[in-house]
Amino acid sequence: MEPDTLRQIRGAKDLFEDAIEAAAVTIGEVQKKITRQPYRLLARIEPIAAPVRAIEEVHLRITDGVYFSIRLGNRLVGIVAGFALDRFEGRSREK
Amino acid sequence: MSDAAKKTAAAPGLGTTLASIVNGCFGDYLSQRDNGLAIDMAFYQHNRPLSLTPKALREAFPAPTNKLCVLVHGLCCHEGAWDYPENPARSYGSALQDDLGYTPFFLRYNTGLPIPYNGTALDALLEKLLAAYPLPVEELVLIGHSMGGLVLRGACHFGAERGAAWVGKVKRVFYIGTPHEGAALERVGHLVNSMLHAVPHPITALLGDVANKRSQGIKDLRHGTVLDGAAGIAAVPWLAGAQHYMIAGTVTDDPEHLAAQLFGDGLVQPPQAGENVRLFPGVVHMQLAHNEAIYHQIRTWCASA
Repeated sequence: MEPDTLRQIRGAKDLFEDAIEAAAVTIGEVQKKITRQPYRLLARIEPIAAPVRAIEEVHLRITDGVYFSIRLGNRLVGIVAGFALDRFEGRSREK
Repeated sequence: MSDAAKKTAAAPGLGTTLASIVNGCFGDYLSQRDNGLAIDMAFYQHNRPLSLTPKALREAFPAPTNKLCVLVHGLCCHEGAWDYPENPARSYGSALQDDLGYTPFFLRYNTGLPIPYNGTALDALLEKLLAAYPLPVEELVLIGHSMGGLVLRGACHFGAERGAAWVGKVKRVFYIGTPHEGAALERVGHLVNSMLHAVPHPITALLGDVANKRSQGIKDLRHGTVLDGAAGIAAVPWLAGAQHYMIAGTVTDDPEHLAAQLFGDGLVQPPQAGENVRLFPGVVHMQLAHNEAIYHQIRTWCASA
């Protein structure tokens, strides 16, 4: 495979990784904003305000956890793909 | 293998096309991140960048002439945009070479970068080309499609400003479907983007943020920006000493049709009628880069004194 083609594949891999990272961060933020809306309303009802805040906290932590997992998985796949490309490039150079 | 067959065999493939589209949409980001997909500006032949050394140019052009034509493609495209779909070996460049002896140079560049940046880079590249070209150049013809016309206009401006030698060789500049007054589609895009941000809801704000990630090259098309900063297209004088020609199309065969009035060639509104302006009704934006009637008009103008 030509070096230019490999460079482009590596570029596509990096772009894909960047896009997933950016999407996970941005969508995560939006989801948290939307999640807070009903809790904000419910928290105005004094008798249930305290449990509502507790449930909201748990909900937001779970949301954070899900998006963190996506970002971590994305990063790991990116590292493995980068490693595979390095090996492939090394072999191509040897040939 | 004949030259024509060689060109067909080495025509830009799907990977190059996808890379060009990604460059057009996010090219400034790719460049900032030093991403491998980012295209470096260069003249291309048989899908490979031409090295601008006398030896490499002599090998690439065994029978060079002292008349050159430079073809600059538009947004999200590559030099393959000039090829006729029914005969990929033919383009305005190859036809001008066969008919009038112009040696063609096809530019490929990152269309997502700011237009002023590409104009400056092309100015430098043309200087390098003329310095390395094996013959003294007597005439330079520039042909730009869509955004390519703005890049050419920028290159001429920056070259003239610093007194570059190549500028004096430019005899004709062809602007094909070039949005000198700005592209309506990008203006609509900007308006939609502003509206999305104006709505106080996280989802619309998210959509607005995503739309705002489009490249600076696309954003520059809104006003036809050629210079950095606040100076608009009006601040860029037409290159003195060269003839300037404008070619435009419309989406319908009848240029007076409402659709043609509203949408122009689908992306760009035609310029006002004038001596060096030709309208080709029924030829849509992308077809402007490879249309036989348009080529005949270009050849007629090039052959005129």
